[in-house]
Parts: sequence; C-alpha cells; structure tokens
Amino acid sequence: MVANTLEVDLQRCLRGLGGLFVFLLVWWLGAMATQPSYLVPGPLDSGRAFVDLFATSTAIIVPVLGNRLVLPTGFAHLVQTLFHYVPGLLLGASCGIGLGITMGWNGALDDWLRPLVRMLRPIPPLAWIVFALVWFGIHHTGAAFIVFVGAFWINFYGAYSGVEGVPGKLTDAASTLGVERELSMLKLVALPNAAPQLLTGFRTSMGRCWMIVVGAELFGAPGVGYEIINASNNLAMATSVAYMFLISLAFLCMDVGFRFFERRVLAWR
Amino acid sequence: MALNSSSPSNWEGNEKISARNISRFYGSTRALADVSFSVADGEFFCVVGPSGCGKTTLLRAIAGLEDVDSGSVVIDGVPVTSPDLNRGMVFQEYALFPWRTVRGNIRFGLDRPSCECPDCETRVQELVDLVGLDGSEDAYPKELSGGMKQRVGIARALAVDPEILLMDEPFASVDARTRDRLHAELLDIWTQTEQTIVFVTHDINEAVTLADRVLIMDDDPGTVQSMVTVDIDRPRQRTAQAFVEYVIQVRDELGTSHSVTEEPLMKDI
Repeated sequence: MVANTLEVDLQRCLRGLGGLFVFLLVWWLGAMATQPSYLVPGPLDSGRAFVDLFATSTAIIVPVLGNRLVLPTGFAHLVQTLFHYVPGLLLGASCGIGLGITMGWNGALDDWLRPLVRMLRPIPPLAWIVFALVWFGIHHTGAAFIVFVGAFWINFYGAYSGVEGVPGKLTDAASTLGVERELSMLKLVALPNAAPQLLTGFRTSMGRCWMIVVGAELFGAPGVGYEIINASNNLAMATSVAYMFLISLAFLCMDVGFRFFERRVLAWR
Repeated sequence: MALNSSSPSNWEGNEKISARNISRFYGSTRALADVSFSVADGEFFCVVGPSGCGKTTLLRAIAGLEDVDSGSVVIDGVPVTSPDLNRGMVFQEYALFPWRTVRGNIRFGLDRPSCECPDCETRVQELVDLVGLDGSEDAYPKELSGGMKQRVGIARALAVDPEILLMDEPFASVDARTRDRLHAELLDIWTQTEQTIVFVTHDINEAVTLADRVLIMDDDPGTVQSMVTVDIDRPRQRTAQAFVEYVIQVRDELGTSHSVTEEPLMKDI
C-alpha cells in the first residue's frame, strides 16, 4: 500500500512537471513567432529579467520610521508592497473578525447591522480607491486602506458564519457541563467551533489582498504592482513578467506557510 | 403481571425527580400534554414511545434545556429553571467537542470555575478507565467509532459527578453487539455511582433490559400512556420467559392507542 501511494505521488509529480514543461514550450514557441518581440516576452528573457531584479539594488524609505533601506531591487519593491499589504491585511482581518464574531453571536446587533452589511459588502474594494485618494493620497496609507477593505469583508464573513453556525447540540452539552455565561460559551464552544472557517477566511483574504494590492499600486502606490506598469510603460515587458512571477512566488510562500500552520492548529478535523 | 399503571410503593419513598403536569407547545402543536410522573432516587427509569411523542422534549425539560409552558419539573423539591451540574446529559448524536481530545472532552466540565476539583488529571484518568478508553486518551472524536464516542459522552457527563444522568437514545446509532456491551457497562457504572438515570429510547428490548420502571408515552399529543415496573433480577436474559412477557406487555401498552405501531418499535420482537 505504501509503495502504491508513493507511486501515485510520483506519477502526479511527473504529470505536474509535464504540464509545466508543455506550458513553457508553448510560451517559448509563441514568443518566437510573435513580432514585434516585446508583445510576448519569452520564458528565457523573462527568467533573465527575474535574475536581473536581484542584480541591482534600490533604496526605499521605510514608512513611519522614515529611514532609508537599500535592498536588491526586486526585494525592495516587494518590501514596499508589504509595507501596505501587511498592515492593511492584519488590521482588516482583526476588525472583520471582531465584527463578525460580535454580529454572529449577538442577535440584536445582527438585526441592526444586517441590511447595512448587505448593502456595503458587494462594493468591490478597489472602488474605495477614490476615498483612499482624497483621504490619504495614493501612497502606503491609501493602498493599505484598500487592502483593509478587502480583508475586512472576507474575514467578517468567515467569522460571522462560523460563530453563527455553532450547532445547538454543542451549546446544549456545554450548558449541562456548567457553562453559564455567554462569554464563556463564546470562548469555549463558539470560537473553537468557528476556527476552521475563521482560518479559511483569513487564508482566502491573503490571496485576495494580493490582487487588491496590485490593483491599488497600478494607481501609483509604490511596490511590485507599480513596477509592473512602470516596466511596461518602458516596453520592458520581460521585467513586468518577472514582477508577476515575484508576486506569484511571494503568495505561494505565504499560502504554503499558512496551510502548514492551519493543518497543525486544526489537527482535530 | 398486573404491574402496569400503579407503581408499587418501593418507588415512592425517596422522590428525586417529579414532573408535575408539564405541557409544552411548539406553535399550535402540543409536544407534551399534562405529563406527570416521578422518579425515585437511584432508580433506572426508562421512557419509551414512538418518534415524536415528546420524550426528548421531556428529557430536555428535566435537563433545563427547554422551558415548559405549564407545570414544572421539580428536583429534590426545587423547580428546574436552567441546566445544572447535578444533571448530566448524554446525547444521541454524542455532541462531543470535535476540537478536544478524549481527555479534553472528559475534562470539559471539570474546568468550569463552578466545579472544584483537587486533582482533575486523576479524575479524568479514572473515568477513562471506567468507560474502557485507555489508550485512546489523546485521540480526537473523528478517530473514534460510534460506541467509543458514546463512551466519551458518558464519561464527560459523569466527570462532574452529577446526581442524575439523562440519556437521550444514547445507543441508537451503535451496532447491536456494541450496544449490548454498553448496556452491561452502563449498568455497572450505575451500580457503582448509585445515580438516578432517566433513559429515553424507542427500543422496547433496551428499556426492558435496563429499567426498574418503564414509562410508556403516547404521541399526538405527548401524554403518559402507562407505567410498567420490570421486576427481573439483573443481568437480564433476553430469552427468558419473564423478559419476553415484559416486552410483550410494553409493546401491547404502546400499541393500544395505535392501529398501526411504528416500525422501530417492532423491530426486535
């Protein structure tokens, strides 16, 4: 059996690599066949551009602290993105989870806010860019604000549905075992029960916020998104592709890391 | 065998639970209509009846998980208003906390501030041994079979040492052989702890195997049909003449108001 699953794993690995290889081949042929060549930069050019991102260095300013930081160029712009991505994500997730738990647990508050939530939620986070522009200007704060909006809703819904969906039999069991106060019930039953949905919500928001952050940077906030459009303005499409690849790598690392954490925390599932 | 309806004097002396004319409505549907009976201290008391006769509602009312619309449930002379640690409950679908291990589930009630526990670890280990779960202490509920889950459910309810154990069709979802073994174990535990047990089931054989007295309920609306005192020494042999006669008696009592008896009631006869 063990040998069998190993064989299956190996087979799947090989198929995956095969898929990648075919893609690279098609990409390479397509790039060769297209004129002028900058329309579709080939895989080799893009790879070289990616390496070049780390061959030069760039100085960036750390927000709030204001000091200069010199890093390899690709890394520097990724860090710039993280300067608004991380605060926006963490703050948005905290506020969303906070409100989601409160609303999911408190029926009266739920009644009060539900129509409002239904109205506000469908607004795409990027639409708020107009307010980001006039309130904060399109720099780190403005971009962080848009990331905040995106993280807020996804985490809000994860927390809300998780807490609201606590099975009655579990709260019944807890009450017969001496849980009397609402706050204890929330802490001992509703929150652990909601943990899977909370974590899934957060993981989804990590991915969605990468899309949002790049969107915000296309409007001018510094970071990898801005560099994509900047490079394409100079017709350096291979550099644009290199930055796209950098975003994909950064997201992959975060996603894998978080899944690992999730699996450990949710071993009971 | 003229044992029905009037209970013999030995169950009337030390009254533990008393249901006094309780009625419960769900909208215009009557789930319980003027139900009265009493359970003696240390008695093994079974409630049988067809699905929808209100037996679960009755048990939940005793637990304090459900309000009654009129009448009252009185325990040791005090009317029930909310769940309490002196009434443990075992649920049909186990209602284990999936994020806690076997040990964590059993410990749940001991962690409440309302319960003083000088040596919780020892207590948990005792219970693990009592229900025969040694070796599985660190398993999560998802890793357990139905019978093992219910052992955890029983141990968790017993942990806080309740005077009354309320059991809602606890063995309905385990296979017949496991059920027989659990019956024997439950009777052992009952003998050791001298608790009062109220056990709801739709299985006549199960009721006659376990009970000192069997309360027979009728549906539409939930009313008390009659009471049968099972006067056979334990352990009871299902093939014994007396056992079979009690089973027939309970079945006949159940059948008197039904032209067609529900299938589950007939299955073991």
